[in-house]
Order: sequence, then structure tokens, then C-alpha cells
Amino acid sequence: MNNSLLVVLIASGIAYGTPLLYGALGELLAERSGVLNLGVEGMMLVGAVMGFWAEQRVHAGAALTLIIAVLAAAFAGMVMSAIHAFLVITLRASQIVSGLALTIFAGAAGLSSYLGSDLNLADVPANHSFHAIFPSSMQSWPIVGPIIFGQDPLVYASWVLVAAIAYYLTRTRPGLNVRAVGEAPGAADAMGINVVKYRYLHVLAGGALAGVAGSTFTLAITPQWVSGITGGAGWIAIALVIFAFWRPELCLVGAYFFGALQALAPELQARNINLGPTELWTNTIPYVATVIVLVLVSWRGARRRLGAPAALGVPYVREEA
Amino acid sequence: MATITLKGVTKRFPGVVANNDVDFEATAGEVHALLGENGAGKSTLSHIMSGLYRPDEGEIRLDGVPQVFHSPRDAIDAGVCMVHQHFRLVDRFTVAENLILGDRRGVGRKFQLDPGAVVEQVRTLGERYRLPVDPRARIWQLSVGERQRVEILKALYEEAKVLILDEPTAVLTPDEADTLFETLREIVAEGRTVIFISHKLNEVKAVSDRVTVMRAGRVVATVPTKDATPQSLASLMVGRELDVTKRRRSGVPEGGAVLEVQDVWAPSYRATTSLKGAEFTVNGGEIVAVAGVAGNGQRELAEAIAGLRPRTRGTVRIGGRAVRNGDPRHAYRAGLGYVPEDRLGTGVAPNLSLSMNVELKSHRDGTLGPFLRMARMRERAEAAIETYEVKAPGPHAEAATLSGGNIQKIVLAREFAGNLKALIAASPTRGLDVSAVDTVQRHIAEAADRGVAVLLISEDLDEILALADRVLVMYEGRLTPVERRDDVNRIGVLMAGGDVDDSPANTAT
Amino acid sequence: MNVRVTVERRLQQPRWLAVVVPFASLFVALCIAGLVLVATGHNPLSSYRRLFDAAFLSNGALDQTLIAATPLAFTGLAAAAAFRMRIFNIGAEGQLYMGAIVGSAAGFWLGGRGGASPFVIAAMIVAGALGGAAWASIPGVFRAFFGTSEILTSLMLNYVAGYILTYLIFQSESYWRQTKGFNATVFPTGKPLPSNAEWPAWTLHTQGGVALPLGAGVIVLAAAVLWVLYRRTRFGFEVQVLGDSEGAARYSGVRTRRKILAVMAISGAVAGIGGASQVGDFAHSLDGDPNGLQKQSYGYSGIVVAALARYNPFAVLLVAFLIGGLDSAGNALQGADFPSGLVGVIQGIILFTTLGGELLVRHRVRLVRRPETVTA
Repeated sequence: MNNSLLVVLIASGIAYGTPLLYGALGELLAERSGVLNLGVEGMMLVGAVMGFWAEQRVHAGAALTLIIAVLAAAFAGMVMSAIHAFLVITLRASQIVSGLALTIFAGAAGLSSYLGSDLNLADVPANHSFHAIFPSSMQSWPIVGPIIFGQDPLVYASWVLVAAIAYYLTRTRPGLNVRAVGEAPGAADAMGINVVKYRYLHVLAGGALAGVAGSTFTLAITPQWVSGITGGAGWIAIALVIFAFWRPELCLVGAYFFGALQALAPELQARNINLGPTELWTNTIPYVATVIVLVLVSWRGARRRLGAPAALGVPYVREEA
Repeated sequence: MATITLKGVTKRFPGVVANNDVDFEATAGEVHALLGENGAGKSTLSHIMSGLYRPDEGEIRLDGVPQVFHSPRDAIDAGVCMVHQHFRLVDRFTVAENLILGDRRGVGRKFQLDPGAVVEQVRTLGERYRLPVDPRARIWQLSVGERQRVEILKALYEEAKVLILDEPTAVLTPDEADTLFETLREIVAEGRTVIFISHKLNEVKAVSDRVTVMRAGRVVATVPTKDATPQSLASLMVGRELDVTKRRRSGVPEGGAVLEVQDVWAPSYRATTSLKGAEFTVNGGEIVAVAGVAGNGQRELAEAIAGLRPRTRGTVRIGGRAVRNGDPRHAYRAGLGYVPEDRLGTGVAPNLSLSMNVELKSHRDGTLGPFLRMARMRERAEAAIETYEVKAPGPHAEAATLSGGNIQKIVLAREFAGNLKALIAASPTRGLDVSAVDTVQRHIAEAADRGVAVLLISEDLDEILALADRVLVMYEGRLTPVERRDDVNRIGVLMAGGDVDDSPANTAT
Repeated sequence: MNVRVTVERRLQQPRWLAVVVPFASLFVALCIAGLVLVATGHNPLSSYRRLFDAAFLSNGALDQTLIAATPLAFTGLAAAAAFRMRIFNIGAEGQLYMGAIVGSAAGFWLGGRGGASPFVIAAMIVAGALGGAAWASIPGVFRAFFGTSEILTSLMLNYVAGYILTYLIFQSESYWRQTKGFNATVFPTGKPLPSNAEWPAWTLHTQGGVALPLGAGVIVLAAAVLWVLYRRTRFGFEVQVLGDSEGAARYSGVRTRRKILAVMAISGAVAGIGGASQVGDFAHSLDGDPNGLQKQSYGYSGIVVAALARYNPFAVLLVAFLIGGLDSAGNALQGADFPSGLVGVIQGIILFTTLGGELLVRHRVRLVRRPETVTA
């Protein structure tokens, strides 16, 4: 039963979906404060390479090494997002162009690749990587075994994070403030909420989560560094925020759906199932599905009702002279 | 309880002195009106009091204690709250959430939110000050009048000692305005101070204890309201005799039917009301005004006629020629001009040159194949700048770098060019300074005198009384004609939706 | 005394700023990239010196620079054509692949039947343009009719186009694949273009001789056509209005949907010709290797080119030449002391400083001194 295609797809969908989830949650925080950051792919890649670098260089116990590696990835992602934050919040540059610039700067043909080759990280086996933590007897329980107990700690941490962010946004004062900053920065400013500070903090937090998202590739899914390892996951994460109507719990559902689509290609190949040009459609299905869902949610200009922050993408200038 | 005093306040903006050595005082327990024409410096002064602007010179004292406000928040903490014309509310939040946003005293201080905790407080405040609102309603569900109540509630919740209201009646029906005045009396009865900003004499007479009149950035006089007459206030405000007749009125217009609107229905894309069966005729040389509180379908009406919004039913004719549904180019060719409500962003393309903006519609006329006539564009822009006395560096200037009045002149120059038969002017003078208001109104009146059929959509009753030959009132998507154009009471009743059914339905011709 | 920095919008933008600021941005970018080099243990001055030599001075360098600059000029012009109108077509990468696929198909088909060379080449250009335009029209239609942001959709289609490209050569026995001969069974490649479908090049007899590919001529022509189209025609007027304000466009009677679609198609067509030029000018076969054409990421670099050129078609040509030099030098020098990705880093930094420089063109930044309080 645990080998049935459905169970395997769900279980590995969760694994493949975890970087999407971290990336989407980070983007969600930035967007809820009113800042669009299209640099997720680049921030992820720098997080991935720096996480792997830390894992190689730190010589401590497995658990400690991995924790330090994830923190290093988060820090690297945060540094990347700081560039975007400075350009769009302080200098009021176009958020679209700046985010693209960040991806070009940090992405597959940029800084991440530079760091990877300069630090000699390519083709090096990992010393440690994240594994399932429950005993294998539990992992073989039917259905819940592989799906719930077969996951690594980064997956469980992401579940906690979803709950924490949902609670933060809807039930706490800083959460109320950040929603106000994203919806009506003028009103928030008038009530003494520091718009600039909130935007910086949430863009930086988003960058840190994108860094963690990248590290799930190099520390858990395929524990090694390959240039461009994320393969567009950062972009799918941005799209996920839109499908999820800017709500963290729906990000989780969407991330696992897209994770399962990504798991489809290796899984069908492993089982020697061929349906037409299998490589082609299994490889492209996550991207095609992203386009289709994007079109569906934008149908009939439904965006306003569905929760896009009203001030998303608009620089805030206090009308003061 | 609280007295706010300003001494020697000066505020300069590039090219303008908005406030020049202003002394002002409002004492506890009074409603103090701040009266002046648009652009006289009232808003700047209120922004200084509420912490949005910092004065270049001068000082603010509350009960004799000097204050420095670095932000609106500082002013709120000191007890000065302002209700802006454009509300500072988060549309997607509930009333209660808006109240606790940024709250530093009550429940909003805690890390964990509990909007429910203020619900009772909102009810009590609402009953005491006649400000009924459902605390759990979301702002976007509320009418404009209700939103204003939320703003006032918010100030009371923040325990404001000084409450400043900027043109609060502009968005209200006359009835709602009367209720607001009662609320303000209640508020000052407890020793608070209300500063009421307006340019309308009758309101100031009705609500205030004292009046400070401003003109051209200076305070002209402060007088007890009971000693002042509308005439004396008006001459203080304007500095000259007020000329209320903007145009010659020649009895029955001779032009014949030019703009005919028959049973037009159009949908609405927002929370505002859809248009339900508009039916009227505007003759050449006539100005017909549509009065009403914004959001009752005025925009839908204008856009349905101009072809910008598809009509679900009905026909529009200009000069006897039916205008194609949903085709703005066809309406333009039939001779329709449209001065839209949203000047920057619809009326002009803000970052493009004046020469392009002047030919926004006419660039398609008489072109050389697919190519533009660059020389003609430049010449027309130069002509527009000269004829309409637009203050601009030249045809290459970007529209957004001009002042509101000058942008509106460019829009008028464009819409009045060519073969103009009918004109829709939607809130054409909103937010303009006195001299620009005068120029724009004069141009509209002159167009009518030349035989153009003008449909004036405005929230400003003074403007309507000054210009219109006939008045229709719009309420929830329906139009009702008013028999006597200057029957202000009747207009007010209709604006509030009163006895629409009793009125004869088809007298609008 | 309290000093504050204020940023105000300029009422008029001095013309010299528009010229000086991009160069200053470039200079600042090189300084910052120098810091990155120092931080990772390289000498920036000698690195730049070697980059410059490898790009423009050493033997055959100009040839290589032109080979890199030509596709960049196409994708840069494609990005400029869309971005200028605030339509963010990030799909030049995929549109380039599609242009290469359709353009090469036309070359095989017409060339194989022995058509006259100019006719075959013209057909390849048209086919490439159509392929790119069709691929760009997918996000174009979604944007125009459903309001779906073109940013993510056009980007997703890059990945799809990349997989299609790989599929045609590596995972199927397609029309584009070389199926004859011993090598074909060992390592899959694209089949060679018939000689009458290969694009000519003109040799300029300057130091060592430089081959000027046909594509370089086509792109100059395309830049001129675009400039006239956007600045001097009714179509361009309406698209400019639409790019500035959708409200004003609808108000003035612009058919907004058609215009959005047209801009996407034009942008895609330019990128598509770039793809045809890749096949006709340089590769002479369809390159499906994921580590070949797809690794060059011309489509993304085109955005850098367009932004640095401030979306001006002629400036795109100049900037493409410079960035092309950087690219080809990076390729030539790649090795232990010249890590891959360095060129991307420099490009990214150039983009950032250009964005920052834009602030200086549009706004006036001043230091304002003001008294803290005036207490009489």
C-alpha cells in the first residue's frame, strides 16, 4: 500500500513542496507588507549554495552542523533581500525591475554560481543531510507512515511556521500593523506605525525564508550543490502566494500540490510508465499548471476580492514637505 | 480643558508661501470654524496642527505648553486628531480593527489582538454621540457618511482633546450634515475643542461659535459667529464683492435637443450603485446639472454616455446621431467632450508630454497613413498653452509636473477643440484653487453660450447653483428632476433619497 | 541644527543627466563588483584588464564579442519593446528558443528543396519572428483577456520552451535531430542546416578581420523600425498612452487588449528572430543541449541590456555590444581564477546601480538644514 503511486506522490510531494512552501511563506510576508519581491529564485539559490558551504565547512555533530547550515542559508537569503529592500523602499525603484535584477544578480548565472565554483562546492558529496527522524517501524505504518512520519525535520519546522505565521497575521498586534501597512500605508503611518521599518523587516524575513527554502534542496532533497539547482522553484513560490490568496495555510496546500507534480517525473520514470512523450509532459507540467492556475485565479478581475494587499507594489511616500 | 494656540506659523512650499505668519487660537468648549476659499491655506494650517507638516517658523501650544509634532502620531498622543477629507481607514479591516490600529493606550497595546474588546466601547460612544456604526462591519461595506463616523469615533476612542475636521460636509447629504453638527455640539459640550474647516458660509453660520477667516495664506480676522453676517464673512474671505452669477441666462435655450439619453442602464464594477434607467435631454446652450452624493451612479452615467462603460439598455444620441455602445471613439467623433472626474490618470497621461496630451483623442484625425503629425501636435500644444494661459515650460513638459488647475486647463483645451456639440464635465473644479475654479467655470459657461449642451456632474451645490439651468438629482442610480433649479431644500431631500416616488417621474425633458 | 535628506521629483529632467547617469552607474557597478572580487581573493584591476583584453583587443576577440552581442541585442530589443510600455515580458528566453525551432524548420524545409538562398533566409527570419510572436502571444492573450500578470506566465513558458528544445533533440526522433551517421547514435545532436540556409557574414578588414554576421545587420534595421513605430506612428502613440496610464488609454479610445497583444507579439517576434539568427548565423543546427544555448540565458541578460539602455532601441545596440564583450570575455577566461557566474554578478550589480541612478534622473536629492524647534 505504501508503494502505491498516490501515497508515494503525496509523500514525495511534501518533500518536493517544502522549498516551495518556505519560499511562498517568505514572499507572503513581504507582499503582506506591500513589497513584491521577484528575486525569490535568486535568494533561494544563494541560500542553497551558502547552506551547503556551511555544511561543508562546519565540523560539528550532524544536528548542530545542519542547524548552522540552515541559519547560514537564512542569513545569505536575508542579505540578498536587503539589496531589494534598499532599492525599492528607500530609493523607490520599480519593484518589478529590482526583483528581476536580484534574480539575475544572484541566480543561476550569477552570484550563486560564482560562489559555487569559487568555493569549490560542485561535485562534492555532502557530509550530513536531513533525514527522517522517526523510527523506521513508524515509517512503515500504512499511509501515515511515509506521509507523516517519513519526513525530515525541515518539513515539520515548516508546519510550525505555517501555524505561526497564520497566528501572527490574524491574531497579533504586529500582524495587524503589517496588514495595515500593506493595505493602506497612509492610514498606518498616520497612526504612528513605522511603514519603512515594517516593510524592511518583512522583506528581510522573506529573504531569510527564501534562503531556508534554498537550503532544503542542498541539505535535504538532493544533498549536493549543482548550479541552478532550484530549477524555477522560486518563481513557482511567487505564483503560489497568488493561488493561496495571500493566506499561509493555503500556501501549504498549493505547495504540496506542486511538489507532487514535480515528483511525477522521477516517479513515472522509476516505474517505467510511458504515456506519450513522458519526459516532456512530466517535466513541463509544474510550469504549465502554474500558468493555468494563474489564469484561473485572475479570471474576471477577481483579485481584489481574493486578498491581494491593496498597496502591493506601490512605494510609500509620506506627503510631507 | 484644552486650548490650541498657534503663533507666527509660516510654512513655505516650493514657489508658494502656504501659511504666512499665522496666529490662531481655538479654546475649550467651542466649535471654531476655519473659513477660506480653496487654496487660502486652511488645509496646510490643519496639517501643521495635526502633525503631518512641520512649520518652517512659529510654534504650537496646547494649554500653553509648546509642542513639537514630528508625525501625526505625536499630535494624536498630545490629543489632536484630524478627520481628513480622504479617510485614513483600512478598507479591508473591520471598524473595531481600525480603532485599535496603532492604539497605545487600550486593548491595542497588547501583543495578542482582541478586536471584540472594543465592540462595547464603540456601541457606547456611538449612542452617546449619535454615531451609530456596526463595530464588526468592514469599512468597504460602509457608506461614505458611515466611514466619516468611524473616523470621528476613532478620534474619540483616542481621547482627542482637539478634533479637526477638514470639509466634513463635502461627502454628506444636507440631512447627514445636520446630524453631524449635533454630534459636534455634543463633543464640545464636554470641554473639547472642534476646529471645523469649510468654505461654505451657511455651514459656518450654523455650527460654529467663532470664525477665523483666511485669505492667501494669512489670517484676515477672527470674529464671534453671531456678530457676523454671510455678507461680511464673504467679503472677508474673498477680499472683493462676491460675483455669484457666473453666466448670462437667457430663458429658454434656443439650441434644440443635442444630448438625448433614453432609458440608459449600466452596471457598476464596484460597491457603488449601477445606473438604472437614466432619461433626459440637454439642449444646445443649456447647462443641466446632476447633483448628488458621490457614488450614487454619477460615474456610471458619465461613462455610459461617453462609451467607456457598456450600456445594458438604452440609447444615447448626440446631435440626433445614435452613439455606438461601448465605443469612446464614436462618441468623440459624434461631438462629445468629456472632462473626467479623475484628472491625473484618466484626464491626462501623467508622464507624457503636453503635446501628446492635447492630442490624446485627435491624434487619429487626418494622419498621414499610420504616421503622426508631429508638427501639428506641437503647434496645438503651444496654442493651448497660450489660449488657456497654462503655466508650463512648454509642449514638452510632462503633464504630472503641472498644478491641478493647469492640468484641467489642458483637459479643457483638448475637449473644447474641434467639433464640440455636447460636454460632460464631472466634478471639474474639485480640489482646484480659487482662481482656477473661476477660470474653469467661466470656460464651461462660455461653451454653453456658444451652443454646446453641457451636462455638469458635481457634488458642490454652490457650483451647481452658479452654473446650472436645470438640476437633476442622482440617488442610488436613479435621476429625479427638480422643478425649480434653486430649490435647495428639495435638492437636499432628493439627495438623501427622500420621497423619490412622490415626484412626477417624467418631467425631465 | 538638524540635517535631513529630501527627495523631490524633478520638474524637468536635464538632458545631460540621462547620458551621464548610465555611465556613472556603470562605473559605480564596476567599483562594487571590484569589492566582490577583493572579498573573494582576486585582484580587481587585473581581472578587469584581462576582461577588457579578452572582450575587445586580443586576437579574434571582436568576432567572439559579436557572436555574444548579436543575440543579446535581439533579446535586449525584445525586452525594451515591452518594458518601455510597462509590459513585463520576461519570456524572451523561451521566445528565442521558439524562434530557433520554427526558424530552423523553415531552413530545413525550404533549404532542403533547394530554394534560392536569400529567399530561404528571408523565410527563416519570418518564421523565427512568427515562432517567437506566437509563443509570446500566449501570455499576451492571458494578460489582455483575463488580466493575468504576464510576468510569471511568460517566465514559466521559458522553462516549457527549454524542455521542448531538449525534447526535440534528446528525447525524440524529431525533424530537427540528426538521425543518420555513427555519431548520432552515441550523442544526440541537431541535424545540420543545408548550406543555402546558412546566413552570410561580411568580413571587415580591420586588424585581423572581423566577421559581421547577417543577424547584426537585421537587428540594426529592427531597432530603427521599432524606433519609428513607437515614436512616430499612431500605434506607438496609443501604446505610449497605454503604458503610462491605462485609465487615460481607455478614456481616449485606445483598444487596450489589441495593443497589449500587439506589444507582446512584437517583443516576441524580435526575440524569435534572434533565435533564427542563432541557428542561421552561428550554430547551423538546433542546439537542444541543456548546457548549450540554454546555459547562455540570453533572454535574462537581455533585460539587463534593455534596462541599462533605458529602453532606447539604439542604446540597446551599444549596450549589447558592451555586455556581449563582457559575456564572451567571461567565457574565454573561465577557469579556476575566473569563476563562472562572475559575469552574471557584474551584470546584476550594473542593473542595481542603474536602478539607483534612475532615482537621480527622476528626482532631486537635497540636504535640507532646518532648525529643530523655534521656541520664541
